Amino acid sequence: MTTTYGGWAGYILRVNLTTKVITKETTETYHDYIGGMGIGYKVLWDDHVDGIKATDAENQLVISAGPLSGSGAICSARTTITSRNPVIRNHLITDGHFGGHFSPELKFAGYDAIIIEGKSETPVWLKIVDDTVTLEPADSLWGVGIFDTFASISKLMGQQAQIAAIGPSGEHLVAQSTIQTQGGHSAGGHGAVLGSKKLKAIGIIGTGTVDIAESTTNEQLRELDDHILGIIGANNNGVVPNQPQSWAEYSSTGSRWRGGPGVTWGAADNPVDVGETPWDDRQKVGMRTSMAEMYFGRDEANKIFKRPGGCHSCPIRCFCEVKNPKMKTEYNLPTENITNVCLGFLDPWYAMGKPSSGEKRTDIQTVGAYYMDDNGIWSAYGQLSHLMREFTARGFWEIILPAEEYAAINWAQYADLDAHFMQDFYTRIAYSEDYPGSNILGRCLGRGLHEFINEDGELYNVEDILNEVESPRMAELTFELESDANYDLVGKTYSVFLDKNMKVFNRSMVGGVHHASESAGQVGALLNTVFNRDPQCHSHINLINCGLPHAKIAEVAASLWGEGAFDPVQHYTAMNTSKAKFAKWCLVKNVLHDSLTLCNWMFPLVVSPDANRDYIGDSSIEAQMFSLVTGIETSEAELDAMAESVLQLHRALTVLQMNEIDQRNKHDVLSEWVYDLDHDKNFGDEGTIKMDRDDIQIGLDMFYAEMGWDKDTGVPTRATLEKFKLGYVADKLESLALLPA
Amino acid sequence: MITRRALLANGAKVAVGTVYGGTLVGFLTGCGSSDDAETPIVEVIPGGLMVVNPILCVGCRRCEIACSWSHGKSAVSPSTSRIKVAKNLNFGPHGVQPNYQDQRGEQGDSTIVPSTCRQCDVCMTVCPQKAITVNEETGARVVNDDLCVGCGYCADKCPQQVITIDKTTRKSLKCDLCEGSPNCAQVCPTGAIKFYTWEDAVAEVELHEKYLELV
Repeated sequence: MTTTYGGWAGYILRVNLTTKVITKETTETYHDYIGGMGIGYKVLWDDHVDGIKATDAENQLVISAGPLSGSGAICSARTTITSRNPVIRNHLITDGHFGGHFSPELKFAGYDAIIIEGKSETPVWLKIVDDTVTLEPADSLWGVGIFDTFASISKLMGQQAQIAAIGPSGEHLVAQSTIQTQGGHSAGGHGAVLGSKKLKAIGIIGTGTVDIAESTTNEQLRELDDHILGIIGANNNGVVPNQPQSWAEYSSTGSRWRGGPGVTWGAADNPVDVGETPWDDRQKVGMRTSMAEMYFGRDEANKIFKRPGGCHSCPIRCFCEVKNPKMKTEYNLPTENITNVCLGFLDPWYAMGKPSSGEKRTDIQTVGAYYMDDNGIWSAYGQLSHLMREFTARGFWEIILPAEEYAAINWAQYADLDAHFMQDFYTRIAYSEDYPGSNILGRCLGRGLHEFINEDGELYNVEDILNEVESPRMAELTFELESDANYDLVGKTYSVFLDKNMKVFNRSMVGGVHHASESAGQVGALLNTVFNRDPQCHSHINLINCGLPHAKIAEVAASLWGEGAFDPVQHYTAMNTSKAKFAKWCLVKNVLHDSLTLCNWMFPLVVSPDANRDYIGDSSIEAQMFSLVTGIETSEAELDAMAESVLQLHRALTVLQMNEIDQRNKHDVLSEWVYDLDHDKNFGDEGTIKMDRDDIQIGLDMFYAEMGWDKDTGVPTRATLEKFKLGYVADKLESLALLPA
Repeated sequence: MITRRALLANGAKVAVGTVYGGTLVGFLTGCGSSDDAETPIVEVIPGGLMVVNPILCVGCRRCEIACSWSHGKSAVSPSTSRIKVAKNLNFGPHGVQPNYQDQRGEQGDSTIVPSTCRQCDVCMTVCPQKAITVNEETGARVVNDDLCVGCGYCADKCPQQVITIDKTTRKSLKCDLCEGSPNCAQVCPTGAIKFYTWEDAVAEVELHEKYLELV
């Protein structure tokens, strides 16, 4: 590295699996794009190829860290994975992320990113030990579950190796597959890309350092660390406890600050009674979150929760390390321990129909989590399980599946909420065509919903799609449930865009709802239109679900984005420019975090648990971290501008990949149920999250104006692109008639 | 012959200013010892040692970071940290075993057993440069960089394998108890790592040792 910057390791590895040539290039080329997601999008822009599929050899996959990874900055251990994605319509680019300890190890080895390109003829894995980088044969690992893959490579490399791998799901080119690291940390949607390249895993040992700028002292780093600890909350930055505690002015059942009296790490060898978790007790920060009771219910959690877990450098610990002895004794698994968070536990539960808390739910979630992770299956933020559950409730599988296959599936187990069902269910998905029999169920669930629907969200005949019939028949499914009557749907052709239980939010990308209108009205709705998959954006959630009284949240929101930026949840007012500014801010911060690479499930911290600060946080922490670590003095506004540049590039690349200038009507479109649910209520009534069609169009107008995008098309203008040093992007789009006049 | 258990059962304590030897000090420091309780190994002086409770450790590695931050050049890395989490993180102290799911580590029973310096005398004894001496105020065995030549004897012989040689400076990196205020303990989000006086350390060390064994 020729500069004295701190943070960046200085080099990027380019691994060509076709030629087996591995080269190093400087990271400085990408400094304007920060790191992480920024590197990924720039690489895919530079090397864009028209019309390729995610699993084609020409597709690249970028695994990238940011300048903060490994520096010790709080919550800075995310890894971003960027590539075309087979789960998305037109296989557009997405970025997925996992936590754990992978990206710090990558930095310690001396690299900011790995660019994977080409395709190997035989299975290989990538071995990185500092400067020594080799491709190793992986024939004996092909077909092996993720957990044993981690163990096998650790045995070869040394157990300090950090490893990312795909499971059988990725190997079988199942679109709904993950790339995973240590425990249940997984990035969704790109397992099949590595599978198509025959790259089973990457193992890293780094013995070097992440250097901090010479101008920065150790005392400054520690001081900033203390400052952050003084204002950070619990998971998703809940800043008040979930239940009343003696030290707390407020409590809120919506807060993820679950740790408190009555919460026990009951599966620990010596059970730990968490007790009160005062905000200023720095040695109890790691006990605050204790999320297990949110996933299992308190009684079950107190029995099976062993400790919280999570990522390198993060004191918050959102993962749940649980011990369910029945995994071994009743379900014949090789372990009784499992670690995960959120959809890792919820997807099996959703798929089985959401039984209430109790042992059956615990078994479903722990056994299901094991099979999902060992096979490397992605939930697509619940779309997988929503599809399974909804089609079962509607009796669709009996119509869709060949009689022989339907009869071979143990529906009695499913009806009985028997977790034994999980083994066959997830194996069908992971093994796809290699599963015995027709396996329409597994092949359909694993392929991604967008493949099976027409422009109106109606289902094609599933077998015709799987058999690639040129003019597939329609499935001829209709709405028949009693509850459909409330919406005048009975007898009408079934459409996933009309079914509120399917939760398809962005109908163009067929993306699942993820903190959209149910969380923040038009703000959530707008930011769910921009990304190609669910936006994984918690910038807004970290404010609105913090647990403080609404008046306080509204005051903070007004100070940042103007009056009326945030309505009470489920009591929404009409669109205004404050909401448009709020939505843009959410996305910019999201991109910033995915580039730095910092946890967007914790940052930004605009509120705090500190009553002495009037509960106000500090939105400039990211800039303070960046300045100290890199030595490049950068204000919050300057860093946000760098992130916005990446966001503009993201939009431009989507335009390029779709070869479509009309993003407004071809990308940023919401499903009908978003407007039509709660038939007895109007938009704006208390108690409904429904949106209004005209209001959302006004919202797009205002949002595009904030983003500097053309009102008619939703595409960045030349002026906007040049403002963000993306003139070359404007030139390319213009040459293809994809730039607004 | 006095066994460790017998010694503990008899309520033996370690007092400042006394020369102790044999099994108890061997146990506390992890140095190993002969069973000859009459053989002095270490003189107990003010201070003590850092021990991690594996039940409370949540694997965030903030202790490693704080150690990097608090010593000299601002370069963060497990390799420059004087506490070692990574080596036991994924599969426990014994590495990948055929029944790894039942062993320690994140991929096993989820128990993480960080290794800390027990401030024993081994490094001091083997150093050919006499570069490691006792800080009389803290009790820490500390490295004198002016004398250290980076030969690595101390790292090779360290019973806890927590000493490394800095690749850049070629100096030994050894826990110095941060001159009496260990940073690793200050940043631990669950209070898993604590400074114990010799008198208080027995139970904690015994708990820690339990988690170093094969399950």
